[in-house]
Amino acid sequence: MKLTRRDLLVWGAGAAAGLPFTPVPWKLLDDVSIWTQNWPWIPQPARGPVEVKQSFCTLCPQGCAMKVRMAGGWPVGVSGVNTNPLTRGALCPLGFGAHQLNWHPMRLRTVRHDGVASSWDASQTAFVKACNRGPVVIVDGHPGRAASSVFESFTEKRGACLVAEGPETGALVPYENWSDASARALGYDLENAQTIISFGAPMLDGWGVPGRFTRLWAERTNGVSDPQLRLIHIEDSCSRTAAKAWKWVSAKPGSEGALAAGLARVLIEECLVAARGPIPRTTLAQAADRTGRTIEEIRDLARTIVAKPPVLAIAKDNNPEVAALNGILGAIGARGGIVRRSKLSKACLSREGPISNPGAILIDSTVPWDFVPQTDAEIFRFTAWDGGSSRAGWLLPAPGFLEELTDVPTAATSVIESYAIAPQLAKPTHEVRSAAQFLASVDKNLPMPEQIIHRRCSNLRRSGRGSVHAQEITPVAKFESGQKLEEQLQAGAIWIGDPLRPGGWKCEVKEWPQTMATATSEGDWSASWSAPVLPPLATKLYRESKLREAPARRTV
Amino acid sequence: MSRNQVVFGLGLATALLAGWVAFPRALYSKRPQPLAFLHKTHAEKSGVSDCSQCHAFGDDGQYTGLPPMETCVGCHSGKIGTSTAEATLVDHYIKRGVSTPWLVYSRQPANVWFSHAVHVKRAGLACTDCHGHYGELDQSRIYEVNRISGYSRDIWGHSMTRLHRAPGDGMKMSDCEDCHRRHSVQVGCLGCHE
Repeated sequence: MKLTRRDLLVWGAGAAAGLPFTPVPWKLLDDVSIWTQNWPWIPQPARGPVEVKQSFCTLCPQGCAMKVRMAGGWPVGVSGVNTNPLTRGALCPLGFGAHQLNWHPMRLRTVRHDGVASSWDASQTAFVKACNRGPVVIVDGHPGRAASSVFESFTEKRGACLVAEGPETGALVPYENWSDASARALGYDLENAQTIISFGAPMLDGWGVPGRFTRLWAERTNGVSDPQLRLIHIEDSCSRTAAKAWKWVSAKPGSEGALAAGLARVLIEECLVAARGPIPRTTLAQAADRTGRTIEEIRDLARTIVAKPPVLAIAKDNNPEVAALNGILGAIGARGGIVRRSKLSKACLSREGPISNPGAILIDSTVPWDFVPQTDAEIFRFTAWDGGSSRAGWLLPAPGFLEELTDVPTAATSVIESYAIAPQLAKPTHEVRSAAQFLASVDKNLPMPEQIIHRRCSNLRRSGRGSVHAQEITPVAKFESGQKLEEQLQAGAIWIGDPLRPGGWKCEVKEWPQTMATATSEGDWSASWSAPVLPPLATKLYRESKLREAPARRTV
Repeated sequence: MSRNQVVFGLGLATALLAGWVAFPRALYSKRPQPLAFLHKTHAEKSGVSDCSQCHAFGDDGQYTGLPPMETCVGCHSGKIGTSTAEATLVDHYIKRGVSTPWLVYSRQPANVWFSHAVHVKRAGLACTDCHGHYGELDQSRIYEVNRISGYSRDIWGHSMTRLHRAPGDGMKMSDCEDCHRRHSVQVGCLGCHE
């Protein structure tokens, strides 16, 4: 019998038909996928003795407590800390995978100047030259840290220190106009609120202290038809916060102010609240038209929100009408509302005003990537990850997650005063310097963050205020010395201040405000930057999420 | 039956034979352990009755894995037999202070985190639930390594289909998931993966 080409083809077809009924394709698929995980250039967690250390997340200024599982001296896993009184074991999705960020493909490993590899010496020389050309501006994303004090010391005679603030603080700016308090001295008393009406603020998507509200919501709301904490969310699309909220109200984009005005009008007209305030000029018909809801729906919503006081309205950004609604609801300066925080939490910012022609701009690694200064000054940007900024002349590799010792002061907008230390747990795999270290190499007289942390711990011990929360709660007064207190904080404990007493803050809304765009002054480079939506991190999850949609605000 | 049908059938049969017989043999290579270790002999002669007597938990509750050389030295400081394995153990490893490079049947990828303490001490699982009855074997097992993935055959299990397996035959993620499901224990991705 002669074999023909046709026979071969038919035989091949038979073999192909039989192959799916063997383990070959399925087993190969499994084995090849495992093989690809073990390619030599893919970082592998270290093998070695396992230990668990406690620290604090430094990816955003909120500083959630985390347990870090270390294998062979390297962080290999992160989880929440149940004993932490603020987050009680909760973390945001980014925090849970933060230990992997140090191995991110976009990790910046060398100094780069205009896209070309350079050296630390060259960057230092260039920085000194730029400093001689004009004032220096340092942009800080996490104010209040020991490193922030280094920045302030450096710029004291040489320029100014700017703070890139998050939208949570930006939403508190309207209260500055009605009182003597600055936005940074205010906070949200979430723990005591019973109803929260969120005007687009991504409450369950990483807003504020991500762990703090997530835990609060989980404990008081999850799976309960009439929860202790009602979250009413206003947003045009069904975001994750909207989907999880007790009630989601869809309103046209940009109509938050109109809805707040409509609600305020109903509250006053129907005497649903005891507080008195200015009646908005917006009529219910106008509010209904702008929001896309009916008048009756707005009336119903107003009745719903006051059914379970205290009520707190939270805007996603600087929205005076939402702030004024809090005035009508009696939430300003009251328990479960907007309260003034203690003096310790106030920002220590330079007050010189904007600098129009800086010689050098140094951007700390805590500043989001979207911060792009429109200036001719030479820009020195510290970052652990190369987020693709096109405006920075110098890109300087900064310590990544848990690669440097830093302190974690009270989170912005948190009414609970706290102080913690995030020790260095991971060894950098390449030469990195923090902005504070870089400045210290330029000016030898600058204090180092370690020294400032020592001083702060000593001051805390001397003040005798508050208590330290670890497995047990220890009053600060019981610590023998500041050093003992610091050791405890380095081991993962957190200092919590005395409970805040609301009241004593006068904030009066005399006239109903009109929503206006955030003012920017022409010629001020620092005002014309796009919204810092993302931190300088690049996980797919975080990039695709709606975290921190609202533009941040800078203060001088 | 036409010629085409016969040839097609031949192709089909070749694929089935190759897939079910030749492929599993080609996929795994066999490696001997550095020493012929007999669990059963040790259990009978040294009175070891429980796995944890050698595969112990440390003071901090952590599983210590394979016993250190000191455990072996307790009995094997000198040769106590005439076998080749005994001579190799004493001359090559104990006298030179070198740990025996055992090939670990249950080695998992580095991104897997598994706590023996949680499973054995808290959940009360028996060692045999995952590892099978290796402690009762009276001969040293051949270590079969997957040529592609580099892991032991014990991870996939000895049946290529993974059907009708004995308890402890296979340590794939799906086996963990099945057990967790049976015991109604919910763990997220990060509970096991680093």
